[in-house]
Amino acid sequence: MSQEKQIIQVRDLRKTYAGGTEAVRGVTFDVKEGEFFGFLGPNGAGKSTTINMLVNLVKKTSGSITIDGLDLDRNAIDIYRKIGFAMQEIGLDETATAREMLQLHGRLYHMPKDKIEEQISKLLKLVELEKVADRYASTYSGGMRRRFDLALSLIHEPRILFLDEPTQGLDPHARQMIWNHLRDLNKLGMTVFLTTHFMDEAEQLCDRIAIMDKGQIVTEGTVDELLTKHDAKNLEEVFLKTTGSNLADEEVNLNAPDPYARRR
Amino acid sequence: MSTFFSDWYYLSIRNIKQIWRPLMALIPSLFIPLFFFTVNSASLQAFSQVKDFPAGISYRDFIAPVAIFTAIFFSSGNAGIEMVQDISNGYLKKLLIMPINRLAIVLARLTEVAFLSIFQGTVVLVPLLLIGVKIHSGILGIFTMFLMLILFAMAWSCIGIITALRTQNARLVQSLFILVFPFLNVTTSAAPKNLLHGWFAVAASINPVTFIIEGVRALVLYGWGSPAILQGFLVAITFFVVMVTLTVMSFKSSMK
Repeated sequence: MSQEKQIIQVRDLRKTYAGGTEAVRGVTFDVKEGEFFGFLGPNGAGKSTTINMLVNLVKKTSGSITIDGLDLDRNAIDIYRKIGFAMQEIGLDETATAREMLQLHGRLYHMPKDKIEEQISKLLKLVELEKVADRYASTYSGGMRRRFDLALSLIHEPRILFLDEPTQGLDPHARQMIWNHLRDLNKLGMTVFLTTHFMDEAEQLCDRIAIMDKGQIVTEGTVDELLTKHDAKNLEEVFLKTTGSNLADEEVNLNAPDPYARRR
Repeated sequence: MSTFFSDWYYLSIRNIKQIWRPLMALIPSLFIPLFFFTVNSASLQAFSQVKDFPAGISYRDFIAPVAIFTAIFFSSGNAGIEMVQDISNGYLKKLLIMPINRLAIVLARLTEVAFLSIFQGTVVLVPLLLIGVKIHSGILGIFTMFLMLILFAMAWSCIGIITALRTQNARLVQSLFILVFPFLNVTTSAAPKNLLHGWFAVAASINPVTFIIEGVRALVLYGWGSPAILQGFLVAITFFVVMVTLTVMSFKSSMK
């Protein structure tokens, strides 16, 4: 993290779902270029809604989002060229092979053919999937799917990588492997925006952390700053002090929007 | 190639590849039309002797256009199923955060339907030609017939795509398959218009599928002289324009 340019600027971001659930309630923060920024919070805190608004998959109710100096409302297509997103739900085409998907995505980013092939070789090596590149995605294990999804989000060499719970459901070995890849990418200058509810993950990877609870940022800073500010021994203690008990978390979950409500 | 056309092209190629994976999934929609054609043309051949049945036409030739139509009709539901799969596994979201034209995503699905229609229709048409069914409108008639059927198939597939976008429910989209049966059977598929009576005759006369079957049948049995060809085309085009418009609107509103 060498430069001070704010590559993500979020101001008073709000999301109220149909039915009145306020998932995000006035969130403001900045992410510096080249920074590894962690977004922590219990289940239902509004992390995924926030990250989905940042990549324009969920429409915000109000507030502003600026990515690399571009307003998301007016420059979405230009912003899509600069960002990569590895979603929580992964989202692969089960009927395609890894190589086919990487080729398709390269073409959809309008990259030259030779550049696509160069990127495919590089990324398959990076995520250690060269040997299974021509197998259908439906045959991949959970760890392979996560790693491949990461490769897919990097095909166009984005400047900012958004990751929503990237190690959810992975064994320690696969988790460590993903962490190493993310560290390497960040060292190369890529800005990484990570949502997670794993304290160790945030502690290991992030330059700066914001903790979110009930749709609001409750604290923000480097790990050292947070420990000092909240007089805590570790990040978990900061988390518990700032987000309350597990019971409170369950209440938030019960209030989360039900995507099937209008279809019932 | 402009970015819109290249997006459309590459997404269409991806969708067309999906059709063959697995290949076995295509077999029922090819087997069933030929099965019904074989069974019905054998068991109901005496029906052509009924008074007021079109003179000089065998029952086999009378239902041959229905076999082609059925093959295409059966397969037009795939687009909705694949769309709901893309939604439920999150792949559509991946496409939505790429710098691609949204309309290309919808048109690529319809291109897949068109491609599948040509394939399915050809696979059923070839054995019909081999057993002696004659297309009286010739090669140009075959092209015309396919164009009409493709327009209808793309329009019909929009029902599945819209349901996928609005409900994101795979079971519901798959269950739309049952709509094929009333729309296919309450028509002139098994008997000519003049032999239908009562509510069935009324329902068949307003069923858009009747116009398509009559248009295709006219091209197969009589050549170019029948007004049914133009009527079939008008119904196919109108249905296509209405359904594609609704699909695009649905796609845009589902992105909000």
